[in-house]
Amino acid sequence: MSALLILVPIIGIIIINLPLGKFLQRLAPYFAATLFILQIGLSLVPSLPFWHTGTNLLEPFFMFSVWVDQLSFVMFLSIGLVELCSLLVGLHFLQDQPRFNFINLLLITFIGMNAMVLSADLFSLYIFLEVVAVASFILIAIKKDVLALEGAFKYFLLSAVASVMLLLSLALILLFAGSTAYPAVASALLGNSGNTLAKFAVGLFICGLLIKSGVVPFHAWVPDAYTAAPSYVSILLAGIITKIAGVYALIRLVISVFGFNPALQNSLMLLGLISIFVGALAAIPQTNFKRMLAYSSISQIGYIILGLGCGSPLAIAGAIFHFFNHATFKALLFTNAAAVEEQTGTSEMENLSGLGAKMPITGTTSVIALLSTAGIPPLSGFWSKFIIIWALWGAQQYFYAAAALLASLLTLAYFLNMQRKLFFGKLQNGLENIKEAKPLISFVAVLLAAIIIAVGLLFPLVLNRYILPANPTVIAVSNLTGISHTGELK
Amino acid sequence: MNLLESTLALIVIPLIAGVGALFISNRWQRAQSALALMATLVSFFITIILFKHNFIYSIPWAGLGINFSIRLDHLSAFILLSTGFFALSLAIYCSVFLKDKNYARQFYSYLLLSLAMVNGAILANNLVLLLFFWEGLLLTLFGLISIGNPDAFKTATKAFIIIGISDLCLMIGIGLTGFIAGTLTMSAINLALDVPAGLAFILLVIGAIAKSGCMPFHSWIPDAALDAPLPFMAFFPAAVEKLLGIYFLTRICLQLFQMQAAGWAGITLMTVGAITIVLAVLMALIQKDYKKLLSYHAISQVGYMILGIGTGVPAGIVGGLFHMVNNALYKSCLFFTGGAVEKQAGSTNLEKLGGLGKAMPITFACFIVAAVSISGVPPFNGFFSKELIYDAALERGTIFYLAAILGSFFTAASFLKLGHAAFLGKNQTAAANGGNAVSEAPWPMLLPMLVIALLCIIFGIFNYLPIKHLIEPALGEKLLEGHSFAGFHANVLLVSMTVVVLLGALLNHWLGVRASGSGLKAVDHIHYAPGLKQIYAGAEKKYFDPYDIGLKLAHWVATAAFWADRAVDWFYDKFSVGAAVAFGQGIRRAHNGSYVTYLAWILVGALLMVTYLCW
Repeated sequence: MSALLILVPIIGIIIINLPLGKFLQRLAPYFAATLFILQIGLSLVPSLPFWHTGTNLLEPFFMFSVWVDQLSFVMFLSIGLVELCSLLVGLHFLQDQPRFNFINLLLITFIGMNAMVLSADLFSLYIFLEVVAVASFILIAIKKDVLALEGAFKYFLLSAVASVMLLLSLALILLFAGSTAYPAVASALLGNSGNTLAKFAVGLFICGLLIKSGVVPFHAWVPDAYTAAPSYVSILLAGIITKIAGVYALIRLVISVFGFNPALQNSLMLLGLISIFVGALAAIPQTNFKRMLAYSSISQIGYIILGLGCGSPLAIAGAIFHFFNHATFKALLFTNAAAVEEQTGTSEMENLSGLGAKMPITGTTSVIALLSTAGIPPLSGFWSKFIIIWALWGAQQYFYAAAALLASLLTLAYFLNMQRKLFFGKLQNGLENIKEAKPLISFVAVLLAAIIIAVGLLFPLVLNRYILPANPTVIAVSNLTGISHTGELK
Repeated sequence: MNLLESTLALIVIPLIAGVGALFISNRWQRAQSALALMATLVSFFITIILFKHNFIYSIPWAGLGINFSIRLDHLSAFILLSTGFFALSLAIYCSVFLKDKNYARQFYSYLLLSLAMVNGAILANNLVLLLFFWEGLLLTLFGLISIGNPDAFKTATKAFIIIGISDLCLMIGIGLTGFIAGTLTMSAINLALDVPAGLAFILLVIGAIAKSGCMPFHSWIPDAALDAPLPFMAFFPAAVEKLLGIYFLTRICLQLFQMQAAGWAGITLMTVGAITIVLAVLMALIQKDYKKLLSYHAISQVGYMILGIGTGVPAGIVGGLFHMVNNALYKSCLFFTGGAVEKQAGSTNLEKLGGLGKAMPITFACFIVAAVSISGVPPFNGFFSKELIYDAALERGTIFYLAAILGSFFTAASFLKLGHAAFLGKNQTAAANGGNAVSEAPWPMLLPMLVIALLCIIFGIFNYLPIKHLIEPALGEKLLEGHSFAGFHANVLLVSMTVVVLLGALLNHWLGVRASGSGLKAVDHIHYAPGLKQIYAGAEKKYFDPYDIGLKLAHWVATAAFWADRAVDWFYDKFSVGAAVAFGQGIRRAHNGSYVTYLAWILVGALLMVTYLCW
């Protein structure tokens, strides 16, 4: 039945776009919101029969086989959550036709990402990746001003490079594997482990995904795109799209299809570390709030890639945990950016100060988000970073562990700088009349802050119930948690 | 009152009176002095009653072998009696001296609290209990010095640090002793001086001799002489600290440890004593302030006591204890005369004094008695105690005897100078006193002086009184080996040597006065002798003050630590931040928005990565 996650939104989009008058258009936000909340609810309960019956629903019609394991639930949850936040914030900024367009595009990215998570086939993965990408080009440019168009165009052009790499790699893989289904490719790669062509194909595919993830040095589109896009789109981009299109695909393919080898691990860890440092260092001198958040995303994605590259079950669990946490706190920070932008009309930090007094909810939630990002206990970000660093140490990657730990200081440095400039201090002249953000935006901020705190405080529950089972490689961690689970093909 | 209650009253009465004194305003000066007089009188009375009684009382207190254990024996009863006597004298003296002093309330309070602490420390039969009272005394000492003139706080800090460091040694020593002996009860400890116990011995001795003001723990005393209230000097460095320190030293040497006459411990003590005698008296010689000159003698005289006890022979120990009593007598008398001069003449600077003998005849007379006593002129008390010490020192080594006799020479010379400069010569004190003629001190100040001066004579001529009744019982028959040390000294050679040395000092003074034409400059030929002159100049500038040397060392260490800290701060505050910002700016500049650049990064990155993966 999990195929419904794709089918329902597709049918929904068709229905609301039927030329039946304004009524259906007005219904659209409720439909989308219901869909997102349903997905959050379903993914929270992996034992529901929904996930385990009728898994071959689509196969006869579309030759699309479905792959659902515990990792998928974390992804579905993240997707539903961030889509919902983006929708709620976006509703406030857009009216009439643009709003309707926005909801349509949102639903398309939703379909694309769900399908990417569900797909058990490299080519399907690629197809839906492109669906998501195309929808996001338009989303970035939704305001149709010059900057937005430039950001969208840059993303489009660099994505094109990624598409070329992915397609070329797919062609090569098809050549020696004869199929693009995960199990077939995995066994073909296992049989041709010394084959340079196979290695080249895998390397190319990974490079394409790294571009999508925005890992240094494949990251250059990220700051422009995130800054140019409206904040409610940035929530979506930074919170989930880059991560599903890039990071999730990477995690899934490296673990289940390509398999680990020392060269891959070394290069992933190195790139992760470079991302962490370059992103953090570049974030320090930024003057634009959103641009700083973009570099922060690069840095945080570095942690996920570093954890993935380490390859030990615990490190991968940490990477998955950080994936979810990053989705929440980065979505929260961009929500705050949306609130600031809405009230003051700018996101340039030079022109802003002392907003905390006027916008207490925004200021407070942003402190929670930044502390979580910097890895301050007991917030959620602390646990995921801690697990990654601990796992690195346990895997005898002492240099990486120490460097990752030190980089937390840089994170704190640029975030505290941001907080000081933006929310603390004396109120800038001309800002006397600003108010707290609109209730809907504040609600989203409080919701996300509550999730960050709750996940931080209830981390043993979250870790044991969702994160550790989500790790397809978990076998050895059972002595840590008492839970053993292996991913399975349905 | 039974014995126990009386003994505890010695601690409790001054304690309550001391706390009570804090609540009496300075406007009620009579009430303050009446309270102090009452408390000290009662204490003195109790010490007389307790005298010659013996008992030990112990109840569990803090656990871990730390009992509230007190012991009254001949030694402690004798020290208690002396302390009580001096406290009473001081209370009488202060009733006039502290008039119109704004620190009167605090002084009385600290004085009485000190008395409680001293009594407690003397009675304590448990090392930790002793330490408790001993440290309590450190607090009141700090208070007493710090209420003096505006500079006194610095001096108080100095005293606090010096005594605090030595008390730390004492504390470690007590821990070590308790560990080695397996008990903290003093009457149950009797250790041989082997390797670990020897260390404990040294640490305990440091605590004891530092309390009595021996070198090198002396340097706060001359400073306090100028800064602290004068009665403090008469009571603490002159009397009580000597009594307490030497009392504890006696306990350590005779009871806690088995100090052999020929062992290293005795030699060490004698060396410390001899050095203290000579160096301190040399410093006393050149002082130009009445009180400061006396303070150096307060240090020098400790040397005799430590030398005497360090000899380990009966004559020396009896002499040391006798000298302790004698010193407390004449030194407090001398400080009392100093106080009288300060109050009546308005200054203690010898350059402004002179010819006071006519105006203050009784004070002058007391000064003469005390001065000849301290110089060791027969038949005053100082003569007899010093002769005993000379005798013992000669037995242990000629060098110690020579140091002691040299100390006597300079002591005599410096008191000739002091008496000459202050009481004889041209009368120029009217100027120092703001134009008013100087008159004799009031009776309450004269009375303690007179009583003590009289005691100096009695303890001299009838020296069997203190020796037979106070000192020899305190040491016990066994130690004395049946000897008795009362009476005129039998060794004619030693006595004639003493007389020759004293006459030499007189001759030296006469020559000095003839050469320089003034009593004050009578010792200038020693002060400015080649070689000595430079050393004196250095000492006056405190180059040899262990405290100042320590402060300088601490300052260097602190400076080094400061710069190390600056460097660390610079690394964190400037370097790492600067480096981060510089890197950040560099990366920011690299993101120039050029699509070609970005594409190049991607292609180079992909090329490197794929190449590495395919390798």
